[in-house]
Amino acid sequence: MSSPASASVLDVEPRFFSRAQWASFLVPTLILAVLLPVFNALLPDGNLLHPSIFTLNLYGKYATYAVLALGVDLLWGYLGILSLGQSLFFALGGYAFGMHLLLMIGKDGQYKSDLPDYMVFLGYKALPAHWEPFHSFGFAAFAVLAVPALLAFVFGWLAFRSRIKGVYLSILTQALTYAAALLFFRNDFGFGGNNGFTDFKRVLGADLNSVETRRGLYIASVLLLAGVFLLYRWLTRAKFGHLMQAIRDGENRVLFSGYATARYKLFVFVLVAAITGVAGALYVPQVGIINPSEMTAEKSIEAVVWVAVGGRGTLLGPILGAIFVNALKSWATRAAPELWLYFLGGLFVTVVLFLPGGLISLPGKFKAACAWFRPKPPVAPDEAPPAPSTAPAALGH
Amino acid sequence: MLRLLFRFSFSVSLLFAAALVLRAAPESTAQPSARAQLIAALIAPPAQQVAAIRALVGVEDSAITPALTAWRAGELYLVTLADGTHVPATLAPDPGVEGQQIAMSVDSASPLLDTVSGKPLVFVLNQLKPLDTTAPLRRAIRDVLEVAGVSDPNPATRRESVERLGQSRKAEHLPLLKARLIIEKVSVVRAALTDAIAFIQLADTDPKIRLAAIDSLAEAHSLAAAARFKEQLAAIPAPAADEGAAMVTALKKIEGHWQVVNFFGNLFRGLSAGSVLLLISLGLAITFGLMGVINMAHGELMVVGAYATYLVQKLFISAFGLGSFGFNFYFIAALPVAFAAAAGVGLLLERGVIQFLYKRPLESLLATWGVSLALQQTFRLVFGPANVQINAPSWLQGSAAVSDVLFAYNRLFVLGFAGLVVLGVWLVLNRTPLGLLVRAVMQNRQMASCIGVRTSHVNMLTFGFGSGLAGLAGACLSQLGNVGPSMGQLHIIDAFMVVVSGGVGNILGSVAASLGIGTVDQLLQPVLGAVMGKILVLFAIILFLQWRPGGLFPTRNRSLD
Repeated sequence: MSSPASASVLDVEPRFFSRAQWASFLVPTLILAVLLPVFNALLPDGNLLHPSIFTLNLYGKYATYAVLALGVDLLWGYLGILSLGQSLFFALGGYAFGMHLLLMIGKDGQYKSDLPDYMVFLGYKALPAHWEPFHSFGFAAFAVLAVPALLAFVFGWLAFRSRIKGVYLSILTQALTYAAALLFFRNDFGFGGNNGFTDFKRVLGADLNSVETRRGLYIASVLLLAGVFLLYRWLTRAKFGHLMQAIRDGENRVLFSGYATARYKLFVFVLVAAITGVAGALYVPQVGIINPSEMTAEKSIEAVVWVAVGGRGTLLGPILGAIFVNALKSWATRAAPELWLYFLGGLFVTVVLFLPGGLISLPGKFKAACAWFRPKPPVAPDEAPPAPSTAPAALGH
Repeated sequence: MLRLLFRFSFSVSLLFAAALVLRAAPESTAQPSARAQLIAALIAPPAQQVAAIRALVGVEDSAITPALTAWRAGELYLVTLADGTHVPATLAPDPGVEGQQIAMSVDSASPLLDTVSGKPLVFVLNQLKPLDTTAPLRRAIRDVLEVAGVSDPNPATRRESVERLGQSRKAEHLPLLKARLIIEKVSVVRAALTDAIAFIQLADTDPKIRLAAIDSLAEAHSLAAAARFKEQLAAIPAPAADEGAAMVTALKKIEGHWQVVNFFGNLFRGLSAGSVLLLISLGLAITFGLMGVINMAHGELMVVGAYATYLVQKLFISAFGLGSFGFNFYFIAALPVAFAAAAGVGLLLERGVIQFLYKRPLESLLATWGVSLALQQTFRLVFGPANVQINAPSWLQGSAAVSDVLFAYNRLFVLGFAGLVVLGVWLVLNRTPLGLLVRAVMQNRQMASCIGVRTSHVNMLTFGFGSGLAGLAGACLSQLGNVGPSMGQLHIIDAFMVVVSGGVGNILGSVAASLGIGTVDQLLQPVLGAVMGKILVLFAIILFLQWRPGGLFPTRNRSLD
């Protein structure tokens, strides 16, 4: 169990961020959250620096994906739980907020009714009781956090209590997602069936199609991503983070040292579910639709791939991976739609086989390769060899 | 004894009489006039057509059914000959010239000849206007066809028309049905005739006949009769006391019978669904259960087997022709081919990807998922995105009925085949040198390697064997459902659930779990609907694992990671 990851736990830096790290965190955040929207608002359309609202929208979507990927990474890269149910939490947050958005359409729907269109279509006479509170934005926001968290709590409590882990947990989360998707695909489950929710008109009184609202949603997504990044960074840096990694590398040893590992796992699982729900809630108004295909196991696995491609066990990797894979996807599905699945499949295999550290490990590998070619200076006896790349190897049980 | 003899001779004489009436008579004398009657009805002026058609009820002639069926479908035409006469005809495609149609006379069932040149009359489609029908006319045609159907040469058609006549509850059909009952030889049609007669007799004026009819229907467990009884019991002028009581007992009898039938039918369907699950998950029980590899492409290996079956079928069709005697053996030939094809793909997968990931099971999930995506896309590109057509060999079609419980042959076959495969797997694992090595490597890879087992070799063969089993499952599934590129995805999660809840590393556990899950699923489905039943089973499995985290038959192990 002497993987490089467990070794790197020991050389903890005392400070949260060094000055250089603060700079490299704040500069991109400010550029994305402030400069781009300002350019979008002020510069004329043809200007080289003017990002179109479509671009901002796309970036906003990527930001919510990145939050989803960060959650997968915190569970998989730091805690050793490969959850294939993260898209379910994402979609549940989306559905909870979608309910609010749907009610905010009011009488502007196709059928000019107080009820959402699909309910009119299915012959509902009145709004079901559990929909009533979703008229309030506050309650919807609460549900966005609470619904995924509650499901994660119940499932996690059952699973971690009986010490289901590793592959079995993955398969169970996959089955949970599958069951939930089957449920939401049904019309009589009452959440729009196949088509889900769409045709949203406004949020908090603002027109969803206006440039200002879309810009606002984009800024909110970027800020959410930055906030979640800081939170997870703080979590993984604290003693708590070391415990997470210890659980990943040798759960039984941690258990025998007197830690109730199930509680730690449950806490992270629920926290990540709630945050992923928020990402889902921001995703829905930006793409304008939520349907059960968002909560399939395939989507979960895709998110896992973003993490694997970016580099798991780091916090920057998943963000890079989510953006890289999705940018690749939107390019490849236009350029060569038949070949996209080969692309994606090939990416999975290549990354797993040849680049277990993900994209983020490439500079380190490159440096190592350069160092290998350079004439070696005589090594001073007390000088430590350079630390290996941060990617954890061998997470298997 | 004498009485019986007398009865017998009486019924024989009746039979002869009826046969004379129904068979011999039309052939000798009535045929020309019947044919003429039909032709006259077809070319009659619209106002008289309904009456003319109605007059055909009960008339026996081989031309009536095709002509009227064509008329109803708008495929009957009136061809005007050179001498000005109208002749009813249907159109048949001209084998010589594409797009041209030959007019076939209804009268002689042969091509209509031009009176001048003597050559067949040829038309282009849409050149002629089909004969009109009106609603009363269509009703008349239907009545004629129904009665004609009772003496159709095809037993299935006979049965259907008899059932329809019974449902019509018209006393006028009674003599026809009774006469037919005397000469009918096929037992299912006889049963249908008895039911239909009893059904019509329910409305008889004689209360005794009515009671006898109720009893007869109860004896036959007729569902239609049950519905009728319920209707009558609820009707406002309630039936007479004794009749009502008879109906209530009959209802009880019929419903009890069908409850038993449905239960056994569901049980059989459940076992059959379980055996399908078993076939799918056996391969997985080896690759996942024994080797610890999460092979998400297992479903696609199954699809490889199904497509291999499809290709073998295509080969047999081109060699022997569809539906020929030789064609029926294609499925037997397809089984080893499916096994070999899937095993081959599995070996490639093991050598190319999985052999590097034995120590990283979670990552093998990702890599094989990638492979499954690529395979799906390959299926789509090679075989097209739509499902391919698989024709079952004749010995897998149809079903056997044991007291109303239907046992479909293809499902029976899969059930038996699954049993054979389980036996085979057990023998390979427990009675062969390869099996010994497999078990040794799976229990402790390092130790086996230390005592000289070529573990990488054994891994490869084991994975190939598991993949081949997936191919066999695919071949069997091709006989039960659609074969398409995404067929594998439908079953993979179920298969994983079976292995997990059966207990990893244990074939017996997979057998018990798949049969249990299949049966529970099928028994729940009529109550809750297909999707809710499935969801409930999934949640039940999740809860079951709370109680027994290691599955039904966990492998006992003292090691702790």
